[in-house]
Amino acid sequence: MPEDLRRRDRLVGLFLLALVLLNPPILWLFGRGSALFGLPLLYVYLLAAWLAVIAAVAWIAEGRAMRRRRDEEPRP
Amino acid sequence: MAGWFIILVAAIYIGLLFGIAYYGDKRADQGRSLIDSSFVYALSIAVYCTSWTFYGSVGRATQSGFDFLPIYLGPTLVFCLGWLLLRKILRVSKANRITTIADFIGSRYGKNAALAGLVAVIAVIGVVPYIALQLKAVSISFTVLLNYPAIGVGPLEGASSAFQDTAFWAAVCLAAFAILFGTRHIEASEHHQGLVAAIAFESIVKLVAFLAAGLFVVFALFGGFGDLFQRAAADPELKRLLSFEATGGGFSWIALTLLAMAAIICLPRQFQVIVVENLDERHLDRALWLFPLYLFLINIFVLPIALAGGLLAPAGVDPDTLVLTLPLAGDAPSLALLVFIGGFSAATGMVIVETVALSTMVSNDLVMPLLLRWRRLGLAERPDVAPFLLGIRRLAIPVLLFLGYLYMRLVGERYALVAIGLISFAAVAQFFPAIVFGLFWRRATTPAAFAAIGGGFLVWAYTLLLPSLARSGWLPVEFVDQGPFAIADLKPYALFGLNELDPITHSLFWSMLVNVGALVGVSLLTTQSALERTQAALFVKSLEQAEAGRLWRGTAQLSDLKELVARFLGAERADDAFRDYARRRRLDVAKLAVDGELVRHAERLLAGAIGTASARVMIATVAEEEPLGIDEVMRILDETSQVIEYSRRLEEKSGELQAATAELRAANERLKELDRLKDDFVSTVSHELRTPLTSIRSFSEILHDNPELPPEKRDEFLGIIVKESERLTRLINEVLDLSKIQSGTLDWHMADVDLAELARDAAAATSQLFRDKGVRLDLALPDKTPALWADRDRLMQVTVNLLSNAVKFCPNAKGRVTLAVVSDPDAITLSVGDNGPGIAAEHHAAVFERFHQVGVTLTEKPQGTGLGLAISRMIVDHHGGRIWVESELGRGATFRVRVPRKLALAKAV
Repeated sequence: MPEDLRRRDRLVGLFLLALVLLNPPILWLFGRGSALFGLPLLYVYLLAAWLAVIAAVAWIAEGRAMRRRRDEEPRP
Repeated sequence: MAGWFIILVAAIYIGLLFGIAYYGDKRADQGRSLIDSSFVYALSIAVYCTSWTFYGSVGRATQSGFDFLPIYLGPTLVFCLGWLLLRKILRVSKANRITTIADFIGSRYGKNAALAGLVAVIAVIGVVPYIALQLKAVSISFTVLLNYPAIGVGPLEGASSAFQDTAFWAAVCLAAFAILFGTRHIEASEHHQGLVAAIAFESIVKLVAFLAAGLFVVFALFGGFGDLFQRAAADPELKRLLSFEATGGGFSWIALTLLAMAAIICLPRQFQVIVVENLDERHLDRALWLFPLYLFLINIFVLPIALAGGLLAPAGVDPDTLVLTLPLAGDAPSLALLVFIGGFSAATGMVIVETVALSTMVSNDLVMPLLLRWRRLGLAERPDVAPFLLGIRRLAIPVLLFLGYLYMRLVGERYALVAIGLISFAAVAQFFPAIVFGLFWRRATTPAAFAAIGGGFLVWAYTLLLPSLARSGWLPVEFVDQGPFAIADLKPYALFGLNELDPITHSLFWSMLVNVGALVGVSLLTTQSALERTQAALFVKSLEQAEAGRLWRGTAQLSDLKELVARFLGAERADDAFRDYARRRRLDVAKLAVDGELVRHAERLLAGAIGTASARVMIATVAEEEPLGIDEVMRILDETSQVIEYSRRLEEKSGELQAATAELRAANERLKELDRLKDDFVSTVSHELRTPLTSIRSFSEILHDNPELPPEKRDEFLGIIVKESERLTRLINEVLDLSKIQSGTLDWHMADVDLAELARDAAAATSQLFRDKGVRLDLALPDKTPALWADRDRLMQVTVNLLSNAVKFCPNAKGRVTLAVVSDPDAITLSVGDNGPGIAAEHHAAVFERFHQVGVTLTEKPQGTGLGLAISRMIVDHHGGRIWVESELGRGATFRVRVPRKLALAKAV
């Protein structure tokens, strides 16, 4: 099933992206103690990046779940 | 706050849990599952968030800022890979009825019971501190509430009897709950639906409680996030926490992320809820983002609460209790009570699932394999093992809780919550390489898994467990500070002088170096058995193939199988299982064929109850399995090569047959030829006999019918009759001779013969012939030749025959025949040459055959009997000599007879 394979590859790609986004070299950049709208930049960045990753997972995984349900609907 | 009131609230909460668990089990029994939803599944996975998260994270954040976060980022990363990793683990585990992490590893590496046992031991040792952490959290939170309205009275310094008792009684309550809902019955599937329902409920409670505390702190105690962060930024100590530097540098962050990635899979309770309690693989799809979202939500307020604690909390407050003390400080005791219940639910959820998972592991992978192998106990023969199995688990749960309590009392009091938890994480992380490599690398071998897990565990124990004991006073503290025997290179927190890393990162680095190194290195150096290879393929290829039926060759009785399964699952469940199996295949349950699939099904049923390694042992007691071992494979190969060998031999044989056929055909041809020759012979002989007989008869009739013939005529006729009679006699003699020589009955009169003299005699005997025809005979004979051992008369016959032939074929007037004898050291050669018409080359061999008369047709009068040369050849052959002719057409012919001087003795006799 090429559709599933594509989603799998997307998730793997997302994993690699998240690995980079949520680990030191990038975190050093955001972790210098500066602030954004009065909020610590690192705090905002971490939560935002984390939420973005979760949203991306949801987008990919739910697409699959929807497709599954659609596939199963015709069955009684 | 009154102690009884707190206890009452906690008791009501526990009662509620009992109720939910009971209802969940009841619904499951009715077949209307309460937990068959991806939301409940995701919530049950959130058992990952324990007191560590609830209380410990804030405590950690007050020390090192964002450092608490990697523990939740790691699982998020793993769930990104959920499709690849988790789904694979799910598939494999469901297909093989794997119920614990020990089972999983043991099964992957050749169903090795010893390996599963090792994993179980490490899991118990590693997780005990983690259980201690929960008990400690329960007791400190209880103490904080108890001391209200006083805030900041250090519970640790007090070490009151209440503190000790809370932990103890909490442990007792939790043990009761775990036993009730975690070991209700032995089931092949090992689903505990009531338990999972309760856990999911607890996850909601702790999230709600924590979010409530967070909202209260941020929006009631402060004027929102901006206000809080601005005030924190004003404090240089708190400002430090907001930078990445506070986390202790990049290595620590990465190490913690890795630890958490490993833990989300390797922790026994996580394996239990993610894999074992999973009802439907499709639930994973939504859990992939729901669970990380849960982690996200529960972590939003950790840092704000920690900062608020730094700003507001009175001195002496244990940072691990800030979630609780801040509402109290804000005069919101009811919220504090909710928070307490939230923390309590976090602790109880973890302890319950963890002890159930561990008890399954201990009973299936540690105790049962030992007991089953202990023959004197006769366990393998007992009719009903299920109660015994449950007994082990029910015993294991309190023992585990007691160990946790003991660790807390002996060691844990001196450690912060997260520090204790990380020790556990680092222990179970030792399983991670074996699992991941096991799932994706087929060649990872059993010895390698032993070396990896064992080696990693030893390094972990040396670099984390022993120092924790030393710091608690159970080992000399010099062990940590100066290294054992004051060897600085062996300091457990700075092995080989590596003191740049914090203890957790340091331990993780060395243990993983050993672990992964051993796994890869030993795998490359060892080979797999047939079973290992089958299992490895089963795990690595689990996503490609739904179910790989293992090759199974053996025999078993259906009744034996059923009885065996019934002994572990109970008769009713066993019956159900077999009926289901039969129904799925549309077969009659009584007529099930005991094939590999059924045996495997039974093994899986058992594996659900007692673990794969033990199940294999049990199945082996009723099923005479002949595993497809290397011997078997070799035999199959042998058979194949034998077939090849046979076919090769067959080819050979057929070749031989062809050759034999060809020989036979040749022989047949030869026989036919001989037959033809015989016919020819007979007809020729008849013909030869009839010719003289006819003349004799006709002349006799003439004489008889004409008595008045003139006497000269009568004499002439009588002469013809006599001559023809002689010829007849000669012919008959020759035929007799021929048959005598051929049958070997001819008498040979051997004596010393002088061939020259013999030749002279022959010439004398035939001189009349030569004179009659006017042919000249030249003799070239030595006076004397060396003596030959021969039959003189027969050689004479040969010579005379050759001479008379020569005369016959010579032209009348100019005929010329030469008779010569030449002797050389080996042999004596006699030759007769003529100047007749000669013999064509193709007839050179044929002239020596019987009745072969060159150039003679039946129309001409035969010039001889046609037997002379044939007889001559036989005679010469008998003397070991050779006779041949040299001739060309029109240039005469020379017959030569060469007789060796030294006749072989055998021939002479």
